[in-house]
Amino acid sequence: MKFSSIVLTTMLLLAAGCDRKGGEGESDEIVLQHRLRAKVQSLDAANIGDTISHGVASEIFDCLYTYHYLKRPYLIVPQLAAQMPEVSEDGLTYTIRIKEGVRFADDECFAGGKGRELKASDFVFAWKRIADVKALSKNWWVFDDKIAGLDEFREYTQTSKKDEVDYSRPVEGLTAADDYTLVIKLKRAWPQILYVLTYLPTAPAAKEAVDYYGKDLINHPVGTGAFKLKIWHRGSYIEMVRNPNFREELYPSEGTEGDAEAGLLRDAGKRMPFVDRIVWRIVPEDQPRWLMFEQGDIDITSIPKDNYGQAIAMGRELTASMKERNIRLDAFKEPDTFYIGFNMEDPVLGVNKPLRLAISCAFDREKWIELFYNGRGDVAYGFIPPCMPGYDPNVKEGSRTEYNPEKAKRLLEQAREINGGELPEFKLTMQGTDTTYRQMGQFLSRSLQEIGLDVEMEYLDWPTYLEKLRTKGVQIYQSGWIADYPDVENFLQIFYSKRSPWPNSSNYSNPEYDGLVEQAALMEDSPQRTQLYRKAERIVMEDAPCAFMFHRIFYVMYHDWVGNFKPNAYRPDSFGYGLSKYYRVDVAKRAAYHKKYK
Amino acid sequence: MTEHQQTIKKAPKGRSLWQDGLRRLVRRKLAMVCLVVVVLYFLLAGFLYVAEFFDWQVGPIRWAEEVGESYQPPSSNSIFGTDIFGQSVLRKTLYGTKISITVALCASFISIAIGVPLGAIAGYFRGFVDEIIVWIYSTLSSIPYILLILAFAVVLRDKTLFGHKLAGITSVYLAIGLTSWVGICRLVRGEIIKHKEREYVLAARSYGCSTRRIIFQHLIPNVFHIVIIDFSLRFVAFIHAEVILSFLGLGEADRPSWGAMINDARIELSRGVWWQMVAATLAIFFISLALNIFGDALRDSLDPKLRVQ
Repeated sequence: MKFSSIVLTTMLLLAAGCDRKGGEGESDEIVLQHRLRAKVQSLDAANIGDTISHGVASEIFDCLYTYHYLKRPYLIVPQLAAQMPEVSEDGLTYTIRIKEGVRFADDECFAGGKGRELKASDFVFAWKRIADVKALSKNWWVFDDKIAGLDEFREYTQTSKKDEVDYSRPVEGLTAADDYTLVIKLKRAWPQILYVLTYLPTAPAAKEAVDYYGKDLINHPVGTGAFKLKIWHRGSYIEMVRNPNFREELYPSEGTEGDAEAGLLRDAGKRMPFVDRIVWRIVPEDQPRWLMFEQGDIDITSIPKDNYGQAIAMGRELTASMKERNIRLDAFKEPDTFYIGFNMEDPVLGVNKPLRLAISCAFDREKWIELFYNGRGDVAYGFIPPCMPGYDPNVKEGSRTEYNPEKAKRLLEQAREINGGELPEFKLTMQGTDTTYRQMGQFLSRSLQEIGLDVEMEYLDWPTYLEKLRTKGVQIYQSGWIADYPDVENFLQIFYSKRSPWPNSSNYSNPEYDGLVEQAALMEDSPQRTQLYRKAERIVMEDAPCAFMFHRIFYVMYHDWVGNFKPNAYRPDSFGYGLSKYYRVDVAKRAAYHKKYK
Repeated sequence: MTEHQQTIKKAPKGRSLWQDGLRRLVRRKLAMVCLVVVVLYFLLAGFLYVAEFFDWQVGPIRWAEEVGESYQPPSSNSIFGTDIFGQSVLRKTLYGTKISITVALCASFISIAIGVPLGAIAGYFRGFVDEIIVWIYSTLSSIPYILLILAFAVVLRDKTLFGHKLAGITSVYLAIGLTSWVGICRLVRGEIIKHKEREYVLAARSYGCSTRRIIFQHLIPNVFHIVIIDFSLRFVAFIHAEVILSFLGLGEADRPSWGAMINDARIELSRGVWWQMVAATLAIFFISLALNIFGDALRDSLDPKLRVQ
């Protein structure tokens, strides 16, 4: 007993002495310190459905195309592809040359443990996996009804047994003409396919890895990216190291106006990545995360709403104490729209437009943005965010967005007439259960009670919330959409009747709107297409299947030892997403900061 | 009447356990002060029920009213400042009393209603019945308490019972009550085992009293002081359990409760908003302290073994 307690005490003491040296590596290694707000669910590129996993896995996997790191407006450039695709005249056939000599990271799944060369067939395999019902990919929607023969392949996988899906079965629209040529045949014109080809789940997959790891693939990512996974402690810590097989990729030599002055072109033409290791700490709580940033244990962070006062002074500038610490601030408008949606299939809400308009008039959006986002947001009048090409500068006219409780009460009178009597109690579903969501819920329910509506709040965790939307189980719900790519087409689907109940969770249906969406989907970017987008937006504004609330403005802070930092609005949160290879870290500066403040 | 009979008549009347306990309790000044504090909390909760019923527009009932800007620090206008929506934190704290007392009271009654009869039956009958009951409560108590409450609260949420929807605090006190009867059940069982061989029970049995009568009219009244002591001490634990559940987002969603206030304050602290945390903590502190001191004094007074003054 005595001996064992001595052993136990010694072990505990030893364990206490073992502190992970995350910040500084063992030698002169350059380490980038990232933070995550939640656990990583999966590192199997095809099977990623959440932004956190997406951000992390993007450092390991590369896609055919990517966004130019510096150029704005956002420009798509080749990544694994050798050049931009050759598109046939009818817009249906895409021929893509892929780079030669690209190799997968070394892994025991390959013969001899050496990563083999990337081939066009790896894309064919990866995309068939997305279509495979048995592989349960969350990302089938990207190719749903798009590529010739792929939907039939999906049907075939439904009938075959789990481990007996034959991936060599030909798919008409998806072929590798030779080792370096990928040919895609579409069912109909789909100009947005280029954006999809920058989307992580379309990254190539090595069949060896899928066969070797099977179900365990989510823990063993094998990609062609700049980094590879070294350690993954679920829930707390992830570490990546430089992938020695990473091809020669150079930092861009051209940027947007002002980039050179901002020092963003200093590394032009140099080989990436500039850091040896990436350390990701998983810190779900706002406060510890903020303190770690202040201590210099996290390099880049967003600002929690309750720390806003500490970080930003009047006039949206950094506070003196932040400036003294040489902390930098960057702000940009996010391509997103948040709204309170109405289930149009609800027997009371769906047929009662004055009721929906009354609810829209009940919310003081300015106050909402001030209370919950410290003023970091713009009131939304329609669904196209102001930062996106296609935004209608005159959207305010004809918008139903206004705060006017008196008008709301008058509208409710009409609503009661239509309803043939008193209105029932409504249920408002929130997409989170934490304190902030509860406070938001209180704000919304108070606003509705003020105009004389009874409302019951429902706070759900994210998976339950999604499930409820997908089964049309909500009445009024809080929601939002963040653009996946810089094309308004991405927003149109949230009201497109064929995409009900997800992402069209208001189950809105208007043939005129649907017609415009279908027409615009086939068009290349042009002023005519923008006109169609705006017309579609007006139709939705008039029918009011939701009350538009606001668009966010994102504030990101980083320490001055992080060089080459340029946020990308389509890479939400700006952490990971394949951007780490561009960053440079001045380890000496960080050490000096640690000495002074830690 | 003989002389002998007269002497018996004049003998001073003995005090019952209860009278004796009460007499000794009243002598403890601190306990009496604590009792007053506890009674005040109960009166406040009761008053809020009455006020809500008759729709009296007193302060705490109007907790939702905006009294100022958001996050105003404590001042002469509002003693505990305001919260994010400019609501008075003092009013919310007072209103929270109602939620906490309701939850603790209901949970106590539920746990007593389950624990006492089960304990009595197990202790009286022993054998197979005893083994089953002991097995049930041992199993229950082997599960960490807070996890068990959480599991119950999650399961009970949004269920309906006799057409009544289990939302907010109803599911909270059901969850607490249904999981916390083990302690009292154990105590009562042990005490009944001790009492069942005593003379008064043997006498009752020899008179041919029914088992039900023996348990409920003879045994339980004689061990009931244990229930009361346990009640007073456990009451605090129930208030804490409500706070924890609300803190974890399983409690009252639409009305203020101390747990929900602390949960709000947790993230507000970093912006320097401490008053919501302080108000709720003080409210919990005073009732916890008062109940603990009073409970201790009650135990000392009612325990026959501690009759040394």
